[in-house]
Amino acid sequence: MTEHIVTSFDDDLDELEGLIRSMGETASAMVSRATRAIIEADEALSRQVVSEDLVMDARQRELDDKAITLIARRQPMAADLRAVVGAIRMAADLERIGDLAKNIAKRVAALGEAVAPRHYSHSIETMAETVLEQVAGVVECYERRDAAGLGDLRAADEAIDIQYTAIFRELLTYMMEDPRNITACTHLLFCAKNLERIGDHVTNIAENAYYVMTGSQLPPDRPKQDETATVSVE
Amino acid sequence: MNDLAHSHAFPAGQVAVAHAGSQAKALPAKIETRNLRFYYGDTLALKGITLALGDRKVTAFIGPSGCGKSTLLRVLNRIYDLYPNQRADGEVLLDGRNILNRSEDLNLLRARVGMVFQKPTPFPMSIHENIAFGIRLYERLSKAEMDGRVEEALRRAALWSEVKDKLNASGLSLSGGQQQRLCIARTVAVKPEVILLDEPASALDPISTSKIEELIDELKRDYTIVIVTHNMQQAARVSDQTAFMYLGELIEFGDTEQIFTAPRDKRTQDYITGRFG
Repeated sequence: MTEHIVTSFDDDLDELEGLIRSMGETASAMVSRATRAIIEADEALSRQVVSEDLVMDARQRELDDKAITLIARRQPMAADLRAVVGAIRMAADLERIGDLAKNIAKRVAALGEAVAPRHYSHSIETMAETVLEQVAGVVECYERRDAAGLGDLRAADEAIDIQYTAIFRELLTYMMEDPRNITACTHLLFCAKNLERIGDHVTNIAENAYYVMTGSQLPPDRPKQDETATVSVE
Repeated sequence: MNDLAHSHAFPAGQVAVAHAGSQAKALPAKIETRNLRFYYGDTLALKGITLALGDRKVTAFIGPSGCGKSTLLRVLNRIYDLYPNQRADGEVLLDGRNILNRSEDLNLLRARVGMVFQKPTPFPMSIHENIAFGIRLYERLSKAEMDGRVEEALRRAALWSEVKDKLNASGLSLSGGQQQRLCIARTVAVKPEVILLDEPASALDPISTSKIEELIDELKRDYTIVIVTHNMQQAARVSDQTAFMYLGELIEFGDTEQIFTAPRDKRTQDYITGRFG
């Protein structure tokens, strides 16, 4: 976009964008490390994710402060206003992604004590890969101002929901087979749920970023494939 | 949310929202211009403006200096007629009647379409007389009736409580903000249908400005208001519709909410976000 007559306005907006980018990168790294920590029972890695969550919280507060100051001082309009409000919302979703990654990481300790057949977490690894692609993808689309890509990303959330439903069924089966699996499987189920929630936040970010870029909303017909609310043990 | 705000600001079918270049639809509007051109001597200052101003709505004209927004305002009550070598062609329909016709009664037109200028222009006479003067041009009233009308006008302009004990003091003794509200009271006193405001708050402090803006919100229940302003936030605050003009052309015209959150034309976007080179 053309530069502002007042160049420090551009600097302020660039700063917000920089913070979103850095939060996006940290969120991606946290999701990746949290799942590796679960799969490899790596407690050190898990502690790293927990500490990174503090960084995310601090960045979000910093972004909020800067955005509010920018609104107060510059009264942004049109695309600028959308960029600022969009940044506030995206930062909140990224911060939540960080929280959910931390929650996954924290389960490493609990899983370590349980009799957890490691191969049970294989499908979670696959699901995490899909989620990670989504997180990285949404940040990239935002940086490249790729509105079309955002629509595709949101549609791809369907795959995560399907994987989540499959994992739900799978873990239920393990628990029925042997009650000693219940502790581990419950923790893994929460991990899968958290990954699924991360996918939902990616969808929110995609919708926000689309509005920031175009001034209109993504069409509302998002597919919903998470069927776990109706799954039961027969 | 968009739809809700839209229907709130514009009851269905009341207003035509025209975009630059497109012909305004013939829905009931208070004032409509059709292919309006304006000349200062040989200079073409308005290059075929077509737009419809909603009845009892506030419309803001924005744009850089020299874009023609004040000129457009000056055409709406033909005040340009006072100057030689200035002329307009095309149509300006007030309730469907073309006011550019030679036969138009200009005194009556200016009573129907009142105007308030950038600098407060009270007459050098008492506060009471400032208002009574205009009414006397059009009506013969008893003293009691006249006092009633003066009070009503001052109340409408939110000035009554500040001046009711000094109606015989000179209009010039008031502060700038009060003088501007006195001018608005003077305009309202002759019961116009349309009020044209040319930068009405640009010479006022923030508190007086807020009072004028509050007044605009009050007045739009009964009057169609057109405001020219350089203050973008003011346009965003007070208007229902906004027209962005540039180099004598209407670039974009639409709901204020849309213009200030998601303008369609890049030139509008650049202007309102402060990117205009």
